[in-house]
Amino acid sequence: MNVPTDVSYSEDHEWVRPEDGNRLRVGITDYAQDALGDVVFVELPVVGSKVQAGGVFGEVESTKSVSELFAPVGGTILEVNHDLEAAPERVNEDPYGDGWICVMEPMNPGAADALMDAEAYLALLET
Amino acid sequence: MVPFGGWGMPLNYPAGTIAEHLACRSGVALFDVSHLGSLEVSGEGAFELLQTAFTNDLRRIGPGRAQYTHLLAEADASVVDDIIVWWLEEQRFIVLPNATNNKGVVGALPGCADVAPDRALLALQGPASRSTLEKVSPEAAGVARFRVSTFEWDGELAIVAGTGYTGEEGFELSLPNRVAASMWAALAESGAEQAGLGARDTLRLEAGLPLHGHELGPGISPLDAGLGWVVGWDKENFTGRDAIVALREAGPTVRLCGLSIEGRRPPREGQAVFRNGAEVAAVTSGNFSPTLGHGIAMAFLPADVVAGDFVTLDQRGTEVPAVVVELPFL
Repeated sequence: MNVPTDVSYSEDHEWVRPEDGNRLRVGITDYAQDALGDVVFVELPVVGSKVQAGGVFGEVESTKSVSELFAPVGGTILEVNHDLEAAPERVNEDPYGDGWICVMEPMNPGAADALMDAEAYLALLET
Repeated sequence: MVPFGGWGMPLNYPAGTIAEHLACRSGVALFDVSHLGSLEVSGEGAFELLQTAFTNDLRRIGPGRAQYTHLLAEADASVVDDIIVWWLEEQRFIVLPNATNNKGVVGALPGCADVAPDRALLALQGPASRSTLEKVSPEAAGVARFRVSTFEWDGELAIVAGTGYTGEEGFELSLPNRVAASMWAALAESGAEQAGLGARDTLRLEAGLPLHGHELGPGISPLDAGLGWVVGWDKENFTGRDAIVALREAGPTVRLCGLSIEGRRPPREGQAVFRNGAEVAAVTSGNFSPTLGHGIAMAFLPADVVAGDFVTLDQRGTEVPAVVVELPFL
């Protein structure tokens, strides 16, 4: 299981990577994509919409199941990964890279600090 | 691994459902379908027992051939199970029920022997299935479509049939447990992609093949599912005959149709189907079609619906246009 150290993790198996200018890139973890199986459809968040931390802001569907996407922090959706519309398999192939879901502007600039680091997320996976 | 009919079965192997599916469409895939029942019916009354228990007419085939058939409920001609029968010898048959319906079929065949615990069942499917089997057992690979024969494998007698559930040319191999793993390994080493329950389901869906509990079951007759050809109308007696003849005379009220959507979002069982704003059906099976690259589904629509009609699907709160298509999808 790939658990990189340059991102923070939510309990809902999403990752968050801080970028310049109060931006957070968001995706689902390697563990999440593996549990879902082959991803065939992603319902992307709506650009410009505001979401609460833990609120449902999208869905990921695989050949076997549907899984909701929960906002890892509260904030505004700045960008979404439109490439996933035609190539949702990128979520499986490169969950921390080309398979990113969206970019958010967090309401609270320090919001990502409350999430788990790689060590804590690994511990969660082992329980 | 997922629970299925009392068995633990792999949903997919490391390649993943879509890769396994595409391997079966373009090459060859290997499935462990040992969850299917295996009932042996033999002796003097064997032919008559099956001929009166099941819908299809064994006089259409003969020894060395396989036949798809149904077991109906006497009262309303609901499909209790859909079954493959292998006619091995004049007075010897193997009946293959669905795992969950095994008990009901056993009840309909007094004196049958449950041989499933002693054997494994492998399905080798795809356009390259015959050339792959030839490398492993030329003797088994000689069987033609819907034919059945025996062959020797690793010192044991096994059965091969030219049957399957994917819409591709293929084989089903019934092997004594002791030699099943060596056959699996030999086929996998010869290039067959190991495939799980996920690919089995998307393959049969694209092929428009019904799955019991979805397109067949209580309240569904063979006619509703477009399977009138499974009924031996010329037979004087079989379980459910009066009810199915009455249904045929009354005419159909629904018919099993394919639904095709433009987008990739998988239609799911239970999603409502609307025509002219009125809810007319629910999806019985649906998924993303790996071969076509969009969503497909099956549903029992009113009998006056024709291919090319437009309906809408409620996909998790989103109204999605769908076009009615004939089955199979490919």
